[in-house]
Amino acid sequence: MAYKEVEVKQPLMLTILPYVSIIAFFALWELVVQTGFIPDTLLAAPSTVVKTFIVKLHDINPDGATMGTHAWTSIQEAFLGYALSLLIGIPLGLCMGWFKVVEGLCRPIFELIRPIPPIAWIPLTVFWFGIGLTGKVFIIWIAGIVPCVINSWVGVRMTNPTLIQMARTYGASDWQIFTQLCIPSALPMVFGALQLALTYCWTNLVGAELLAADSGLGYLITMGGRVARPDIVVLGMICVGVSGAIIGFVIDQVEKKLLAGIRR
Amino acid sequence: MPTQEAPVKIRVNNLTKRFGDLTVLNGINFTIKKGELLAIVGPTGCGKTTFLNCLSKLMPATEGEILIDGEEANPRKHNISYVFQEPTCLPWRTVRENVAYGMEIKRIPKRECEERANQIMDLVGLSSCADLYPNQVSASMMQRIAVSRAFAVNPDLLLMDEPYGQLDVKLRYYLEDELVNLWRKLGSTVLFVTHNIEEAVYVAERILVLTNKPTSIKAEIIVDLPRPRNLIDPRFVDLRKQVTELIRWW
Repeated sequence: MAYKEVEVKQPLMLTILPYVSIIAFFALWELVVQTGFIPDTLLAAPSTVVKTFIVKLHDINPDGATMGTHAWTSIQEAFLGYALSLLIGIPLGLCMGWFKVVEGLCRPIFELIRPIPPIAWIPLTVFWFGIGLTGKVFIIWIAGIVPCVINSWVGVRMTNPTLIQMARTYGASDWQIFTQLCIPSALPMVFGALQLALTYCWTNLVGAELLAADSGLGYLITMGGRVARPDIVVLGMICVGVSGAIIGFVIDQVEKKLLAGIRR
Repeated sequence: MPTQEAPVKIRVNNLTKRFGDLTVLNGINFTIKKGELLAIVGPTGCGKTTFLNCLSKLMPATEGEILIDGEEANPRKHNISYVFQEPTCLPWRTVRENVAYGMEIKRIPKRECEERANQIMDLVGLSSCADLYPNQVSASMMQRIAVSRAFAVNPDLLLMDEPYGQLDVKLRYYLEDELVNLWRKLGSTVLFVTHNIEEAVYVAERILVLTNKPTSIKAEIIVDLPRPRNLIDPRFVDLRKQVTELIRWW
């Protein structure tokens, strides 16, 4: 029997559609600002944002840092928080899914902390860590850990029970079943968590940078608001959006490679 | 083919299972000889799956014992394989790795694992797709993978729970032949549960007919037809009718 990779050709229409929608979006945006339908004191046109971006690459006015500094600060904070939430959240969630003791111990506390918006932690964070990097990382960590725990936990819970029975009849130990069956079958959910946690971390960046900061993309946005410069606000927002999308895309590609047999 | 004088491999004494007030299995006694292929038929909902779950020790029996070579059955010590109704391939392992999975748990040396996996994949025609993932092969292939994995550990007892129930007739005949072929080559002791009477007469050396709940053994039928068996041989038809009658008579 011959098995062959079959290449499915997508209609040209579907391939170009995403580009069409993006171009149309920016064109429309440019148009409504240029024609004065929306005054440029309320919204900056894309062309203005690009100009501001080029200027901000070397000019520290009016917010005190260049684009590079802002981006670097945010990336540091977001990634430290993100990495910590994955490092703690995923193993915790996986264990909660399989070991009843861990679930019994951690679930009540987790359910209690989960509904609190990460930004509500800001005052306490200032008491505990002051206004440095640690506090912001803490907020981002709180934001990112929730989807990590939930997805890993649900992923383990969703392991096909017949697979577990199959392994048991061969005499597999609890630990073998956990590591060889539950974790691999939870992986698609865990990769979902990587995406979700990224969104949560990245969106809470602005919140975290409300903590007296002197640089960062969130800070750039709040400063832009304070000095009434919509172009700077939009620039900050677009940077957060574009970098988030790029990281999401990278995670997606890694997932496709790693989960060859599970999702294809 | 195993002879009538083969030693007893599996002995089940007074196997009883109750869920609260509901008695599902009621004092079942039987033996399986070494290298025998025994089929169990019974009406739908008579507790066939419960019966297999008790035999495989997935579920504790309320009373009674299951002895393999005179010792209480234990999945850690004995090689018990179980082929489930639905395909149980691990989607993140290739076909070859799936076939080897049972042997890996049994800590069989890597070399031997590979050799045995290759031998069995050759026998069932899986070699051509050894490096594919389960979602790239057909449903019948998936069930073949499960059967191969089960035979690969040289099981003391191989339990099969209507493994071909969901396949079409032509494929089923084909896979039944393949099963008989594997069983004869490897000499495993097999217990095959089905609700398909023709299938039971076709593959088995002996058939146990179960009653409705609370389930016990209603009759035993020896199938001493030569192989390969012919579905329209008058003796085959006779036996099939005999089993059908037993199931109809409640």
